[in-house]
Amino acid sequence: MDATPLDRRLLIVSGKGGVGKSAVVASLAHVASRRGMRALALAMTDPIGLATHLGAEELTPKAHELLPGVEAAFVDRSHALDEYLRIQMRVPRAAPTRQLSRMLQVLVDTAPGVREIISMGKPIYETWRGDYDIVIVDAPATGQLGSYLRAPATIASIVPSGGVRDQAERMRATLSDAAACGVLLITTPDELPVVETREMVASIEAEQLVAIAGVVFNRTLPDLGMSRSRIAALPPGPHRSAAQLHAGLYESQQKLLPELDSSGHLPFLFGLMTPPEVAARLAEEWT
Amino acid sequence: MTRTHIVVVTGAGGVGKTTVSAALAIGAAAAGTRTLVVTIDPAKRLASALGVDSLGNQPSMVPGTDGLWAAMLDITASWEAIVHRHAAPEVADRLESNPFFRAIADRFPAAQAYAAGEQMAEYSEGGAWELVIVDTPPSAGGLDFYLAPRRMRELVGGRLLRWLTGASLPGRRALYRVTARPMLRVADSVLGGPLLEDIAEFLLDLRTLYDGLSSRARSIERLLGAATTLVVTTAAPASLREVRRFYSGLGEISVTPAATIFNRDLPKEWMAPKRLPAIAGLDAEEGAILRENLRRWGDEARKTQDAKQELMMRHHTDVHAIPWLEDAPTTVAELAALAETADLTGLLQPPPR
Repeated sequence: MDATPLDRRLLIVSGKGGVGKSAVVASLAHVASRRGMRALALAMTDPIGLATHLGAEELTPKAHELLPGVEAAFVDRSHALDEYLRIQMRVPRAAPTRQLSRMLQVLVDTAPGVREIISMGKPIYETWRGDYDIVIVDAPATGQLGSYLRAPATIASIVPSGGVRDQAERMRATLSDAAACGVLLITTPDELPVVETREMVASIEAEQLVAIAGVVFNRTLPDLGMSRSRIAALPPGPHRSAAQLHAGLYESQQKLLPELDSSGHLPFLFGLMTPPEVAARLAEEWT
Repeated sequence: MTRTHIVVVTGAGGVGKTTVSAALAIGAAAAGTRTLVVTIDPAKRLASALGVDSLGNQPSMVPGTDGLWAAMLDITASWEAIVHRHAAPEVADRLESNPFFRAIADRFPAAQAYAAGEQMAEYSEGGAWELVIVDTPPSAGGLDFYLAPRRMRELVGGRLLRWLTGASLPGRRALYRVTARPMLRVADSVLGGPLLEDIAEFLLDLRTLYDGLSSRARSIERLLGAATTLVVTTAAPASLREVRRFYSGLGEISVTPAATIFNRDLPKEWMAPKRLPAIAGLDAEEGAILRENLRRWGDEARKTQDAKQELMMRHHTDVHAIPWLEDAPTTVAELAALAETADLTGLLQPPPR
């Protein structure tokens, strides 16, 4: 499968919960490493999922090199907030930052877009800084992705002027620059993920917040190579029932695959593999 | 009038929570219990099977059943209903047109979960059903649904407002006094414009919901305390991780799950397959396909066995397995069969008090 999604500075990977987003992010990290790129993989909602696929226990706000040339970190919100204030808003250290950040912490929980812009700020900031060839984001699930992508616009609509607004405008420009940034949507060939992905694609295209770098089907089953009628003619037993399950699941998947304009398929991985093995194995699928 | 018993079905997205909820409900109704199943985001075919093709909080009778109703929650509508229920009309209108309010209704996860909880309380208090089965909104750790009433109390109680003003019941005057403070001017110069003041104004409006909402939230908490919780999972690592997070967060809420429902189980005997028996007319290539296929699925079966084992050991929970089916059941008959094979109806008993 074509790995052109990596031809960007910022790749935001999302999908419905449980479709294997973190494993795909980790596989792309492998590809980046293999190509000798310097990459940063950022987990935005869960410090564990991506970590286990990269052979670590848990990611921290500080980036650590987990593959040659590839660092990974977790976007911890209070940490990101401090960083945002100090580095992006240039709040002087002499300012009552602790008090201020405590207050902003409450604000983050309440005001629309603030939490999201703080979290989105981290990967975008890393893209601006340019220490990495690519920043790959294990982003929030599709259900929440819209409010993250929309955050800069939301902020611009409620903050009339000032540093935060300027920053939000700049973020919006980076997100919507198709050459620099894109969203890769992961789905499985199951009804609900496909429906949700289709809705996400439609809303991203309608709002033009960000380019779509691709839609990838994960966990696609191979054709068994035996017809349903041949299977049905077998005597009952594990061989027949396993073949029936496989053929039935394969058929349901085949019905759903044409529902999305996808850029590729990743296989269902059979076998007793550890999460790092899964990521390394998926990495072989990208060319 | 019989007390309404509530069953809350929780678990990660994509594990089949809605299907399990529907199967439980059909099983209960078939056993003669007047049952309502409340779904959040059902797949289309399942929604049609339950006769809930369109969103709406109004339950309707499920076609082809006796004593089963279903509702598909419209969470946005529920939010509006909450505001109108708890706020004065002019405040409610002002809130609804406020950008902060709309963003919170959209995104504050506790708001969705709370809206579902309030609707659940509504159904339960109506007394029309003996059993209400609630399929919870997807959320991190599955705990949101239980924590939502408290979080909503905190939100409308104005944690930010209290913190800004230092007053336990801040009024407008306290707000204006405080916005003149130098620290807030620093904040405003960073954020740009009187953002904090705007938010405080909004929170003052929201604050007027407090009395109504907080007593409502407490009654939801009581209902949840007496409810039966069922956790649904599959062998997928992400869904197992979600279960671990749920169990590790149980200290925060007073809930003991009654059982874990393990969906997409595979037969044990696939793990150590017997030799492929000699079958007349089967060529060598087909034989190789069948052997290889069973070897692969045997590994998957091993994963499901290990996962079930771990659930029992780690969380001391009863595990009820539902076999992995070619097609998720979508008709009433298929769901009824599922409830029967997986022996789910025993799970619906209220906990001993």
